Amino acid sequence: MKLRRRKYIEKQAKQHTLQESNVPSDNKSLSDQLTDNKEELKKLYANCSDVVFRSFFLNGKEDALLVYIDGLTQVEEIDDNVLAPLMKKTYAEQGSVRELLKKKVAVASVTEVETYTNCVSEISVGNPVVILEGSSTGFSLGLAKPETRAISEPSSESVVRGPREGFVESLHVNRALLRRKIRSPQLKMETIEIGTYTKTTVIISYVSGLADETLIKEVRNRVARVEIDGVLDSGVLEEFIEDYPYSPFPQVLTTERPDVAAGSLLEGRVVILVDGTPFVMIAPVSLYSFLQASEDYYMRFIMSTLIRWLRYAFLVISLLLPSFYVAVITFHQEMVPTALLISMAASREQLPFPALIEALIMEVTFEALREAGIRLPKQIGAAVSIVGALVIGESAVTAGIVSAPMVIVVALTGIASFTIPRYSQAIALRMLRFPMIILAGTLGILGIMLGIIAIVIHLSTLRSFGVPYLSPMAPMKSGEMKDTLARAPWWKLNARPHFTGAYNEHRQSASQKPNPGKGEE
Amino acid sequence: MENGRISASQMALMMYPVVTGTGIIFIPSLTANAAGNDMWLSPVWAASAGWIAIFTALHLHRLNPNQTIIQYSERLLGKFLGKVVSLVLLFFYLVMNGGGVRIYSDFVTGSFFEETPTYIIVSSMMLLSAFAVRGGVEVIGRTAEMLTPIYILFLLLVFLLILPDLRPENALPMLENGFTPSLKGAYTPQSWFAEFFVIAFLIPYVKKEKTAARWGVISLIAVTLTFTATNLAVLFLLGEDVTAKLNYPLLDAIQYISIAEFLQHLESIVMAIWVAGAFVKFTVIQYAIVLGTAQVFELTDYKALVFPLSFLTVLFSFWGIVGEADSTYHSSTVFPLTSLIMQTLLPLGLLLISYFQKKTGLFPR
Repeated sequence: MKLRRRKYIEKQAKQHTLQESNVPSDNKSLSDQLTDNKEELKKLYANCSDVVFRSFFLNGKEDALLVYIDGLTQVEEIDDNVLAPLMKKTYAEQGSVRELLKKKVAVASVTEVETYTNCVSEISVGNPVVILEGSSTGFSLGLAKPETRAISEPSSESVVRGPREGFVESLHVNRALLRRKIRSPQLKMETIEIGTYTKTTVIISYVSGLADETLIKEVRNRVARVEIDGVLDSGVLEEFIEDYPYSPFPQVLTTERPDVAAGSLLEGRVVILVDGTPFVMIAPVSLYSFLQASEDYYMRFIMSTLIRWLRYAFLVISLLLPSFYVAVITFHQEMVPTALLISMAASREQLPFPALIEALIMEVTFEALREAGIRLPKQIGAAVSIVGALVIGESAVTAGIVSAPMVIVVALTGIASFTIPRYSQAIALRMLRFPMIILAGTLGILGIMLGIIAIVIHLSTLRSFGVPYLSPMAPMKSGEMKDTLARAPWWKLNARPHFTGAYNEHRQSASQKPNPGKGEE
Repeated sequence: MENGRISASQMALMMYPVVTGTGIIFIPSLTANAAGNDMWLSPVWAASAGWIAIFTALHLHRLNPNQTIIQYSERLLGKFLGKVVSLVLLFFYLVMNGGGVRIYSDFVTGSFFEETPTYIIVSSMMLLSAFAVRGGVEVIGRTAEMLTPIYILFLLLVFLLILPDLRPENALPMLENGFTPSLKGAYTPQSWFAEFFVIAFLIPYVKKEKTAARWGVISLIAVTLTFTATNLAVLFLLGEDVTAKLNYPLLDAIQYISIAEFLQHLESIVMAIWVAGAFVKFTVIQYAIVLGTAQVFELTDYKALVFPLSFLTVLFSFWGIVGEADSTYHSSTVFPLTSLIMQTLLPLGLLLISYFQKKTGLFPR
């Protein structure tokens, strides 16, 4: 069985390489005949109307070829700084071409390319390539046109206080945003190219000395292992590098905010940037990372702590409230105070459905409304919310299809799930709500408890890049509790959180608690 | 075979529910029957079985480092006899866990879900614990670390909430007939305390072994306090006569809770939290059974045994137990004796042999 599977995989791999056979083999170097080079490149870029081949005479007599992709390259710069100086003047002295380029071409970055593969990769990034007659070395000029949208506030993670810049779709801007936050040369950025066709640049970033060496190696290995046609978003890569692919829980944190990424880097985590998406990935993370917002660290610590507790409470509500309601209504009516029970019974008197079905109908409707609200254009989105509020909220109760308490429960659950700062985690808990409702409708509170135990077992099994998902609660790391259960003031957060071992322990000097008396020191 | 490691505090959090899981609902009534209004003293005497269990397990481990009882019993008694003793011990745990699951399901069906078939309750619990056992000792440790604190907190909350209804005069006259009744009452709970011997399966996987003793003792003291507090609470609230007649006195005590006409009838919630503790208990013992069986038969991996042995535990929760009354009878007569033999005398014997072997070097390695 295993042997057959291996053969199948090998066959697949062979087919995969065959399909890209028109790309020249890795190390075929450029010829010293310009016509050969031109022909080979033209063959590679057959039917590519956006690739421009410009032949010109260097020094009035020597043949030269300029290749670039229209739209990716700064054509004005080529005109002014490459073609003009090389074509217009005649040079008395005969030096090597290399010296000529050094002297006359006013471009910051010039790199030599010697193989077709290099040539093609430079051209496809947008760097024009100059090839000269009689030389088997081409020159790639760093004149790619940076196409980028303006840096704006990320809509998925807005804050009241804190930096308002967000990552954009261009990798080099994102890279600069990170570098602007952490200027130390210890901030490393390793580049890997992924995608047979997309050639997407992926950057593994970490602060050397803070991040654990084995962790960096593990990330590097996992990313390098990926072999795929194209990476269009970090989400594609995420599914390849997770620890437990079948878990509903996200094991990698995604963020649009440079300050979150920089904060994670300073805690010794690894940040993975993918070209073409504003979402960068952070690993390793724990369950509690998904319940923390960047603002927690900018607000006053008492408020942050209270808000964290609120989030924990609403996390439980978003997972359990509908199932708890169903369990109480179906099995444990004695728990409800009498007055409330009477009014609840009165509102349920005319209902055609048992509580379990009622809850499922309402929850599914709510999820559908939410999904419709996200996908629709903004103008229609308002209409959906009106329909949702009126039809679901008001009419369904009047028509006697659902009870008013159920509407309250579902609405509260909906709000609760929006208090979780990370969408990927919120949606996981929202999905788990449905099995919990079914368990509550069949086994009551016992069913809910069995469901919770199952979730806890699963969470205990999970790891994110080798770090237990429930840490620092289980396994308990008492030193990190002050940034999990609460948010201790900054002058108390002296020790760095550590995922694998103890090294470079302190992140600030101790006893910095502000005190008016200290001003004299 | 087991690559995971747990911390000593995780071990303590695993052991606390192992003893209190089923004990807390059963022991008040059993001790009240034997000790009358001295029932609160019985757990303190009974705890000596726990001290012996921890002492023997630790010393056996010190003399036979990095081995579970299954492995060193083979070394101490010889291959054949060692395997036989190990199998008998594992069989004892299998019967004990089956009985424990039965107590759990009888409690749940008897008090809450009268119509639900017992096998649903039993098998859903064993299925969950099988999942946890498959994850290995690390997963069980972390699960216990998440669930046991909630379990302890709720117990404390229950004690706090029934405080207004307590009548301490129920305990009077104290020690009317000397210490004999309370010592008699200690006979049943000692078997629960002796379950601390399960740490003999866990210590080889504890990270800092030196802290294992301290945390084991902390866990034991916590258990003793819990049982004493439970017995006191039940005695103060219901009195000895009522307590002796009730099957689950703590449950009835919880029904007394009524604060501001809003916090009342909390028994379903307390039951649910207790289920979490019971789950940890069954899982830890099931893990010991599975690991031990794999070691007896010298398998490379125990994962294949998890589901068959869990199924066997489900069967043992039905075999030989006719009903709730039979289960109570079993817990108060058969179980204390077998526990005394298997969890107290057998380990002490092994310890003697181990000492003797170390002194003289007579037995083969």
